[in-house]
Amino acid sequence: MSILRLEHVYKSFGKLDVIKDLSFSVSEHAVFGFIGPNGAGKTTTMKMILGFLKPDAGEIYVCNEKVIYGNTKTNRYIGYLPDVPEFYGYMRPWEYLQLCGEISGLSSAKIKDKTDELLHIVGLDGVNRKIRGFSRGMKQRLGIAQALLNDPILLICDEPTSALDPIGRKEVLDVLSVVRDKTTVVFSTHILSDVERICDSIGVLYQGKVVMQGKLSELKNTYRQESVLIEVEDKSQVSLLEKEIGKLNAVSQIDVFENSLKVTLNQMDLINNAVLELVIKHNINLKKYEVLEPTLENLFMELVQ
Amino acid sequence: MEKLIEYLPFLIPIVLLELLLMVIALVHIFKHENYRFGTRWLWIIIVVFIQIVGPIIYLTIGRSED
Amino acid sequence: MRGFFAFTKKEFREHFRTYRIIILAAVFFIFGMFSPLRAKMLPEIFSSLDMQGILINIPEPTYLDAYSQFFKNMTQIGLIVVLLVFSGMITNELTKGTLVIILSKGLPRHTVILSKYLVAVILWTISYAAAAVLNHVYTVYLFNQVSGEGVLFSLFCLWLFGVFMLAVIILASTITQGNYGGLLLSAGILILLMVLNMFPKCQRFNPVSLAANNAGLIANTVSVSDLVPTVWITVGLTALGILLSIFIFQEKQL
Repeated sequence: MSILRLEHVYKSFGKLDVIKDLSFSVSEHAVFGFIGPNGAGKTTTMKMILGFLKPDAGEIYVCNEKVIYGNTKTNRYIGYLPDVPEFYGYMRPWEYLQLCGEISGLSSAKIKDKTDELLHIVGLDGVNRKIRGFSRGMKQRLGIAQALLNDPILLICDEPTSALDPIGRKEVLDVLSVVRDKTTVVFSTHILSDVERICDSIGVLYQGKVVMQGKLSELKNTYRQESVLIEVEDKSQVSLLEKEIGKLNAVSQIDVFENSLKVTLNQMDLINNAVLELVIKHNINLKKYEVLEPTLENLFMELVQ
Repeated sequence: MEKLIEYLPFLIPIVLLELLLMVIALVHIFKHENYRFGTRWLWIIIVVFIQIVGPIIYLTIGRSED
Repeated sequence: MRGFFAFTKKEFREHFRTYRIIILAAVFFIFGMFSPLRAKMLPEIFSSLDMQGILINIPEPTYLDAYSQFFKNMTQIGLIVVLLVFSGMITNELTKGTLVIILSKGLPRHTVILSKYLVAVILWTISYAAAAVLNHVYTVYLFNQVSGEGVLFSLFCLWLFGVFMLAVIILASTITQGNYGGLLLSAGILILLMVLNMFPKCQRFNPVSLAANNAGLIANTVSVSDLVPTVWITVGLTALGILLSIFIFQEKQL
C-alpha cells in the first residue's frame, strides 16, 4: 500500500515553473530519500503535501486520503520537520512538546510518556533551558521529537541534516533509523552519503520532475558500471599493466592514475579472471583490487548532466 | 505644596509602576546585544527619558525576538 | 476544541512571557490612578506656581474633569499602547514561521485567528476594567460624588471601540507581510477613520465616535440614543473584520 502518492502535480511561482508533472509514490515502511539539487523544488513539494501550498494542478494522497489545501485532515497522519524548524523561544522543550501533543489531541498521560521518551531519544532529556538559547543542532533534534510525537504514519523531514556538523548529522540519522520500524520516512537532502546510509528507496527530483525512482539496490544494479580499480605497490608497473590489459578484447576503457588503473569492462564475469591471470603472470604486487559499486554520486551526476 | 505632599500616597504607586517598566526594559537592553533596530544607547535614552511610552516602545517593537 | 484550548493557553503564556501582560497592567493601572489625581491636583499646581501677579481662575475641579482626563488618557496613549502590544501577535508568528509546525499538527487555521482574538479581547477587557474601576474608586474618594447614568454606557463605548480596534489589528496583520506591516496598516486604518470623523455626516457610522464622545456622555451633552446605531455598526464591522481575517488566513500560503 502506498502511504504517499503524488499524481501529475504542477506548481509555479509567478513565471517560474518549480514543479512540472511530478508523480511518485512511497510505499509503507520505506525510508524514501528525496534527492535533488538546491532549488529543485523539494521544499515546495513537501509544503504541498502538508497543504501549506496550493498545487496548480494534480492531486496528492496521504494514506489514500486526498490532501486539501488550507485545512487538511491528512496532517493527522503526518509528522513534519521543516528545513529550519522555528519554535517559541520563550518555551522550554517539554512545554513545546506538551503544546504539540495537546493540539494533536493526545491524552495527557500519553503526552507525558511520549515527551519523556522522545526527549530521551533525541538527547534533550534534562534540558530545562528556554528554546531561544538552543543551537541549530538542538533545534533540529527538538524538531524531530515534535514530528514523532503523534506516532505519525508518515514522517516528512526537509533537509534534516544539511545544516549540521558530522556529529549532529549522525545523531539525526540514527534517530531516523530507529523510527523506521514504525513509520514511513520521507526525507529530502542533497547529501548523498546520508541517503546511502539509511534509505531503501529514492526519488531524484530534477527540474521539477522525478527523473529516477525506485529501490536503491535495484537502481544500483540497473546503472551498474562494470569496472574494477587496480592499485599496485610499484608505480613502474602501472604502464606495463595498462599495455597488457589493453590487449584484452572485453575492455572498453582504461583510466590511468598515479599508481592505479580504473578498467571499464564490457563483461565483468569473463574478464575478471583474465585480468587476475595477467597480474600473476607479470608478478605484479597488488595493493588493492576492487570491483567498483556504482555510487549514488555517479548515478546522480549521470542523471543531472 | 502641602497639598501635593498630601497626595503623595497616591503618587508613589504610579511612580513605582513607571520605574518597574523602566527597570524591566533596561534589564532586557543590557542582557541583549542586538535589537530589531537602534543601538543600546539610543534605547537607554528612550527608556529612561520618555516616561511610560519609552519602555513600552522598546518592549513591544524594539526588543529582539531572541 | 482541545486544540483551541491548547493554543489559547499558549497565547496567554506568550503574552505573559513577552512582557505584554505586564505592560498592559502597568499602563492601565497608571491611567486609572493618575487621571483623577491629575484633575484634582491641576489647580493646586497652578496656584503653587508664582504667576507674577497674573490671576488664573480655575474653577474647582469635579468628577467630570477626572473622567474626561481618564478618557483623554485612554483614547490617546491607551489605544496606542493597545496597538503596540497586540500588533505583533500574528505578524511575529508569520515572519518567524512558528506556525508551520503548529499547523502541520492539524490545528485548523480559523482556530489560530479566533484564539488570538479571544485572548486579546480578554486581556483588553481585564486591563480596561481594572483601569476603569481604579479610576472610579479614586474619583469617588477625591471628589466625593459621581453621578450620571452615562458613566457605564460611556465606559462600554470605549471598551467596544477597543474590541473593534483589536479586530482591525488582526485583519491588518493577516493582510500584510513583514515585521511592521500589521502595525502600520492598523494605524493607517485608524487615522483614516479619525479623519472621516471630522465630517459630521460620517460620525453616525464611524466606530471612532465611540471613543470621541465619552466625556460628553457623562456630562450629558451627548445622549445615549445618538450612539446606539454606532454601537451596532461597530459590532457588525468587528464581526466582519474577524470573518474576513479567517477567510484571508485560510487562503494564505505559508
